[in-house]
Amino acid sequence: MKASNLLSGATALAATCVLLTGPISAAETVFLSTQLRPIEEAEKVRKVILKDYPKEVAFIPEEVGPFITRVKAEAEAGKVSVGVLGAVHGQLPPLAEVGALDSLDDVVGQLADRKLVSTFVELGKLGTDQHLYVPWMQATYIMAANKKALEYLPAGADVNTLTYDQLKEWAKNMHEATGERKLGFPAGPKGLMHRFFQGYLYPSYTGGVVRSFKSADAEAMWADFKDLWQHVTPRSTSYAFMQEPLLADEVWVAFDHTARLLDAFRQRPDEFIGFPGPAGAKGRGFMPVVIGLSIPKGTPDRAAAVSLIDYLTRAEVQVTTLQQVGFYPTVAVELPTSLPEGIKIAASAIDAQANASDAVVSLLPVGLGGKGGEFNKVYLDTFQRIVIRGQDVRKTLDAQAKKLAKVMTETGAPCWSPDAASDGPCPVE
Amino acid sequence: MRAHARFLYVALALVASVWVLFPIYLIVMSAFAHEETIFAWPKSFWPREISFETLSFFFQVQGVWNATVNSILVAVMTMVFSIALGAPAGYALARFRFFGKDVFRVAILMTRAFPIAILALPLTVRFIQIGIYDTPFAVALVHTALALPFAILVSSSLFIGIPRELEEAAWTMGCTRVEAFRKVVLPLALPGMAATMIFAFVISWNEVFAASVLTLQERTLTAYLLVSMVEAPLHFRFAGGFFLIVPALIFIFAVRKYLFSMWGIASR
Repeated sequence: MKASNLLSGATALAATCVLLTGPISAAETVFLSTQLRPIEEAEKVRKVILKDYPKEVAFIPEEVGPFITRVKAEAEAGKVSVGVLGAVHGQLPPLAEVGALDSLDDVVGQLADRKLVSTFVELGKLGTDQHLYVPWMQATYIMAANKKALEYLPAGADVNTLTYDQLKEWAKNMHEATGERKLGFPAGPKGLMHRFFQGYLYPSYTGGVVRSFKSADAEAMWADFKDLWQHVTPRSTSYAFMQEPLLADEVWVAFDHTARLLDAFRQRPDEFIGFPGPAGAKGRGFMPVVIGLSIPKGTPDRAAAVSLIDYLTRAEVQVTTLQQVGFYPTVAVELPTSLPEGIKIAASAIDAQANASDAVVSLLPVGLGGKGGEFNKVYLDTFQRIVIRGQDVRKTLDAQAKKLAKVMTETGAPCWSPDAASDGPCPVE
Repeated sequence: MRAHARFLYVALALVASVWVLFPIYLIVMSAFAHEETIFAWPKSFWPREISFETLSFFFQVQGVWNATVNSILVAVMTMVFSIALGAPAGYALARFRFFGKDVFRVAILMTRAFPIAILALPLTVRFIQIGIYDTPFAVALVHTALALPFAILVSSSLFIGIPRELEEAAWTMGCTRVEAFRKVVLPLALPGMAATMIFAFVISWNEVFAASVLTLQERTLTAYLLVSMVEAPLHFRFAGGFFLIVPALIFIFAVRKYLFSMWGIASR
């Protein structure tokens, strides 16, 4: 090929391209979601979960950043093309703040016979007096272990009633016996470690998340956790999805989001077990995650969007969703007895966790609006400073508490469970 | 002494090749491996059995072909736009003295100074308003903006490298300024310009953020797959990586001759 041919050929091709590509108007409902992004899950949504839906749906998974930019941009330009939004509870407030979400009061009324979990329906108001999302799916965080690790369990310990002390001893036993640190956490840049502090460690040790941030209990807790970290694999600070180090045998015991452990359970159901998060002095903290469905204001075909939400919250579709992608129903349904093996492992752990006698439920942060990221950063920075850099616990807590208090007063967010209710912004005591 | 230099040269070339080829080799091996063997350790360097399972999955993913076509459309448009705008600017920088030339030279680079994430929201709003949102054309415009600094600076050094006297000789023989450019300068500059286009192609092929924010249903392949792959299980990531590398490799291989001529310019 001569250079001149290359040039002129390309020019001709480009001219054709420009002519061919006009804006596309689609009659189908666009379903934009920050969830179910992994390619095989997205395919299951398209080919299995939405199979029986009578109309055309374009399921488009998207990362949170572009997701928020797009919805805001469409709202600002006044020309919306998205029909339904699917996102985690904490991802929707920035959109609600700029008024990009439509009120779903009518939809919630229409779905009254579905028996939606009422706490989640309430969360869907995002601190306003209107329903802004309808709960779609739920998940949580659990622990997973390779069966090889079980022989190192401290005497008398049972994984289903494990305490943080026993976890430390377990990790120590594995460390000493194998010479490797076999406990792992998703503390990498894409990991969900902050949820471990907010929903598991803090509630278990201090019975709160915000109020007790710098309490004496918290001081002891961080000292304890730092002690535990000696037996945690140093690669933790790069992990995002614990299913990978588990499958690669790098890690034997791990904490993560159920969806981020599922592949391990699925691929090798005989090798892995799932179990609840450990308990501390104040109980067994755990955090459910709610994923909601919203409709952007000014959507091209609202009736179609509502009918898609109606379809996705039907009992049988919710069960299919569980079977296909491992997210749990948000409506009251009979679960079938024949679940896939991997999902069964996670299901039993979730069940044991939610029904533990010492369970302390942590709700997702409410009312932080767009400051959710700053809130998470307080916990992650505290972890960085105390555990990774070895700074003084008391001083760090005092310094970080100021930042936390600033987030709370700026947003005016009242306390949420497990913190005791407050008048006005939740205080850092 | 010469033998030493030669040895060093070969050794460096070898290191550089391995540096680039080894990860590609691992990706290819893993793309054709079975789901279970991905996590096997130690890794074997020869495939024990070849599986097309994961890879064939990609060919069936809804919208993957549309995305491939879009990627090619966008890349080609980017190539043409950036040369159509970049070459004249480069020529002006090389041949003329004008007020603010140095400022212009620096200002060109400014398009790369602003992170695209900050520009994304206003850009998207504007594109929706003028009705080119969700089209390959819109993505190509942004990619052109990204490729332009390179196109301008390379083509300017390209034109500097072509002696002015040749052009002047053409004028004295009766050529107009345009004719002299077309008959004398352009043939000499073509290989270098082709190389610039290749670079524009690569920039466009690899860009994700603009491509995913500015489109909804008309994604480019990279944007389409990357979003779905970052969090996918490892075997899908290897297969997806393979799926993304191969077209780019084929393209680069086909046009490598021009790439070398670009390096020739850079060292001038």
